[in-house]
Amino acid sequence: MNNLKFLLAIWKANLQSAMEYRISFLTQMIGMMANNFLYFAIWIIFFDRFKDVRGWGVNDMYVTFGILASAFGLVSLLFGNAFMLSDIISKGRLDYYLSMPKPVLLHAVSSRMIASGMGDFAYGFVSYALSGYLTWDGLARYVLAMLLAATVFAAFLILTQSLAFWFGTMSNFSNLVLNAMLTFGIYPITLFDNYAKIILFTIIPAALMGAIPAEFIRGFTWQSLSQLLIGASGFLGLAIFVFRAGLRRYESGSAIQIEV
Amino acid sequence: MKTFSKYWSIFQITLINSLAYPGELVGRSLMIIPFMWIFYQLWKVTYSAAGADVISGLTLRDTLWYLMLAETIELGRPPIARTMSESVKDGSIAYILNKPYDFLWYQFSTAMGESIFRAVLNAMFGGLTIWLLVGAPNHPEGFIIAIPAVLGAWVLHFCINAMIGLSAFVVEDVSAFTWVYQKLAFIFGGMLIPLDFYPQWLQVIAKAMPFASAIYGPARLFVTPSLELFINVMSLQLIWILVLSLILAVVYRRGITQLTVNGG
Repeated sequence: MNNLKFLLAIWKANLQSAMEYRISFLTQMIGMMANNFLYFAIWIIFFDRFKDVRGWGVNDMYVTFGILASAFGLVSLLFGNAFMLSDIISKGRLDYYLSMPKPVLLHAVSSRMIASGMGDFAYGFVSYALSGYLTWDGLARYVLAMLLAATVFAAFLILTQSLAFWFGTMSNFSNLVLNAMLTFGIYPITLFDNYAKIILFTIIPAALMGAIPAEFIRGFTWQSLSQLLIGASGFLGLAIFVFRAGLRRYESGSAIQIEV
Repeated sequence: MKTFSKYWSIFQITLINSLAYPGELVGRSLMIIPFMWIFYQLWKVTYSAAGADVISGLTLRDTLWYLMLAETIELGRPPIARTMSESVKDGSIAYILNKPYDFLWYQFSTAMGESIFRAVLNAMFGGLTIWLLVGAPNHPEGFIIAIPAVLGAWVLHFCINAMIGLSAFVVEDVSAFTWVYQKLAFIFGGMLIPLDFYPQWLQVIAKAMPFASAIYGPARLFVTPSLELFINVMSLQLIWILVLSLILAVVYRRGITQLTVNGG
């Protein structure tokens, strides 16, 4: 409960900080929505010509793209530092968070809000509304699936970026796996054979951020819900475990700095 | 001649600098591998579902080699707009503007210097991946023929990106413009889907735009090289380079009067 109060306070401060530059905030939000719309236009062109990919049509793409955008946006807004955790670790900037009486990981990842995430978050709902699958119970499933997909995504970021405790700066690796996660998450899952699907549920859990949440939104099944629940709790547990294990190896940067 | 040698030296220094961290260079270039793999999955299924060996004049192998070169052009170009925006934000632009060289030519020399090895490595990793998946390109000589068009593509990218970067003189943060530009290049440049697969009306519009000269033209020339196509691609590129560089020069002259330097 204390942690929740702390999180709400930090998110409020982040929002106030972002709103200090309202024009910039709005530009980034609208720019990101336009960016997503233009990207999706390519899929509209593709499905207009080729109709479907092994039974996967443009409406399925709307839902998949929507849930992935909303989950990505939610993590950008609420846990923006998860994208730069490896940098924080390798530059010794965890010192600041270690000196505070709050959970280190939670404090570190929630200390930044990426304004453009609002554009992704909002665009996801628009995309879902355009899919033709919009119903009230579907919307409730959308929100639940978004929370679970965002948990998987945040955990994946923490997990991969925490490797910096062992290997130092690894921005290239982080970018590589992040791009792989987003790219594989957007593409129709029907493209992949069983071996590839195993990878998409485990090493790069893109299926848990795109295809499975989309399946759950289109129609409730216990199978998709349990896959999401197990995936989200499993990855979150693993991410926290790896971060804590890494933290034992952390050496102070002894740098005098101010976190803003 | 002396002026040219100054920018040639800047180009050479940047080129050598880009090799200073080979691990970084290689790591960045590895990104093309998952992209190529997923393109292979998508187009293999699409060709199979269409039940055709050739779609709009392109075989599966042509399409994948086309996408390899399109990705190489895109991933090879440096983020000029962001770099310019950062230098406006942190004030470091003051140190570039007061040097005895032209700001735009300096940016152009560094951009070209940064592009070369990035593109070579992307082409190597991307090419190797596609080669393993579908075999050698149908026209290997197309690679040599497309090189002038690839260089022209970078000049075009530079003109557009520098204009976006110059908008930082007024709005400081240009990220929204770069996202939108990138996606316009994706759609009208035929970055993820060759323009030949588009509806006819959209093909006509897209092929007349500078994005097509920057991506589609060189990539199509690579997979189906011919003298006629070479002349078409190069002449259209030249027209766009002239038009855009003229606009860029005007925008720069106007923008410089509105620049506010932060600290430095």
